[in-house]
Amino acid sequence: MGRGDGGDEMWRGGAEAVLDLQPNSSISITYDTFFGAPSDLLLLELDDKLLPQILQNRVTIRGEPDEEAVLCTPAGTYALKYVGTSNSVFLIPPSGPSSNVSDPSPVKVASVIKLAPGVMELVEVAPRLDKLKELLAENPYRPEEDSMEELEEKDGLRRLRWEDLVERVQASDEELKDALKDNSAVEINGYWRIVDEKYMDMVLNMLLHNLVLNEWSLEGFEEDQVLGIMGSDGFPLKIVLHCLEVYGRRVNLNDELSGKMKMERFMEAWMDKIPAGMSAGFEMLEGEVLVENIGVETWIWAFSVSSLPSTPAERFAALFQARQKWEWKDLQPYIRDLRVPGLSSESLLLKYTRRTQPTMDAEPVFSAR
Amino acid sequence: MQIRVKCECGESSCREWAIVELQGVVEAQPAFQDRIQDLEIGVLCRSSSQEKYTFTVGYHELSGSKVAIKKPLLVLKKKKLSDSEGLLGSSSNSSKIELEVIGIIRHRILFKTRPRALISRSEPQIKEKVNKASPSVQ
Repeated sequence: MGRGDGGDEMWRGGAEAVLDLQPNSSISITYDTFFGAPSDLLLLELDDKLLPQILQNRVTIRGEPDEEAVLCTPAGTYALKYVGTSNSVFLIPPSGPSSNVSDPSPVKVASVIKLAPGVMELVEVAPRLDKLKELLAENPYRPEEDSMEELEEKDGLRRLRWEDLVERVQASDEELKDALKDNSAVEINGYWRIVDEKYMDMVLNMLLHNLVLNEWSLEGFEEDQVLGIMGSDGFPLKIVLHCLEVYGRRVNLNDELSGKMKMERFMEAWMDKIPAGMSAGFEMLEGEVLVENIGVETWIWAFSVSSLPSTPAERFAALFQARQKWEWKDLQPYIRDLRVPGLSSESLLLKYTRRTQPTMDAEPVFSAR
Repeated sequence: MQIRVKCECGESSCREWAIVELQGVVEAQPAFQDRIQDLEIGVLCRSSSQEKYTFTVGYHELSGSKVAIKKPLLVLKKKKLSDSEGLLGSSSNSSKIELEVIGIIRHRILFKTRPRALISRSEPQIKEKVNKASPSVQ
C-alpha cells in the first residue's frame, strides 16, 4: 500500500478510508511501521481567511532564535502559541498516490503516524518594531558618506538590505514598509538608513536658502529645479529627495499650481485679454475669485458663486470648506443672491455663521457655527 | 531568521488527513511497549445511524462522532534545506529550515466519553482483532 512516493513519506496512510467510512462498516486503526520515528510534523490551526495566503505561499515565520516566533502574511503579524492537549490525538495521513490503483479492494487498515501533543494557534498581534528603530539608529547616514565610494564598507556596521530587515524584524512586509516610512528611513544604494538629524537640518536649511535665493515660493516649487541647484551644491539627490519627502508635500502642478496665480501675473494676463479701450477693475471680479495673502505674496484663484449650491445651508457649508474665516467684504458677494422668504440676510448670517469681532473697530469675521 | 511556509499542493488539492481523538492515553501491554509499530490500536466502527462511531480498544468501547473542525488544521513538515538547494547570496552558514504544508485536517472522529467495559468476548469488534496485543484505555 501507498509506499514509496518518494522522500520519507513511506507511511501506509488510510485517512480517506477513515473519513469516508460507510455506515455499518469498520476499519482497523494501527500504529504505522514508522510510528515514533522523528517526523518533524506540526499542526497549525488557522482561520479560513488565512488559508489562501498559506496555500499561495505568501506566509513566513519570522524571528531570531531568542524571540517568540511570529507568522507573517503580507499584511498581518500573528503570534504563534503552542496549545498542548491531554487527549490522545491520532494523526492518520492520506494513502500514498500509488495505492488503490492496483488494489481495488476497500482499505481495511488505517495507520497512525504520530500522536499530536498539541497544536500551534495564531493570535493577531501588533508588529514588533522596536528592533527596527534600534537597527536603524546603529548606523545613520552622515555627510561624510556623500563623498564615499558606493560600495565602500564601513567595518563593523550592519548594513540593512530589505532582505536583512525581514530576517530580523518581526513584522509583515506591509507593516515593515509603513514603519520605515514612519521612521523617515530611506533606501540608499540598496540599504535602508535613517539620515543623521543634524545632516537633515543642514539639507533643509540649504534647501530653504536656495528657495529664497532663487525667489521660488515655499508654497510650491518645481522639484527638478530644486534638485538641480542642490545637486550643484554637492548634495546627493537621494538625500535631497528624501528631505523633500519628509518635510514637503507633493502637489500636482496641473490642479493646484495652475489653480492659484500670483496677483501681479493674473492682472497682467487679464489686461492682455480685454479689448483695447475697455477698462477693467478688480471689483468686477466680486463673487468670481478669491484672494489670499501668503507671506508677502498675494495669490488669486477662481471661486465662482455660480458654481456653489443655492440652498443656504449647503452654500455656507461650501464657503466654510473653501475658507474657514471670512471677512464681510469677501463674504458678501457670495451670499447676496440668497433669498429666503421671511429671512433677512442678517438672520441668515445669524443662523449659519458665528460672528467674531476682536475689537469694536475691527472688521467682523464670520466662521462656521 | 525567516522560515518560509511552503505549499506545493495548491488550493484545491491539499490532501486531507484524519484525526481520531480520545480522552486519556492508550497503553500497550508491557510486552509490546517497546515495539508498538504495526500494532493494532483498535477498531473504528460506524453504526447504521449516520454520525455515530464506536472505537473498540481491547476490552473497552468508546462512543463518539465525526465532527467538523471550526478552524482547519494544517499539517506542516519541517524540512532542512541543504546548502546545495539554492542559497545563493546567503552568507549564513546555518542550514535553512522550511515548513512544507503536506496536508489539511477538517474533521476528526472524537470520542469524548469514558470507555465502557465490554464484558463478553463474543462482541463482533473483538473478533475482528488482528493482533492479540490487547491494548487498553487507561
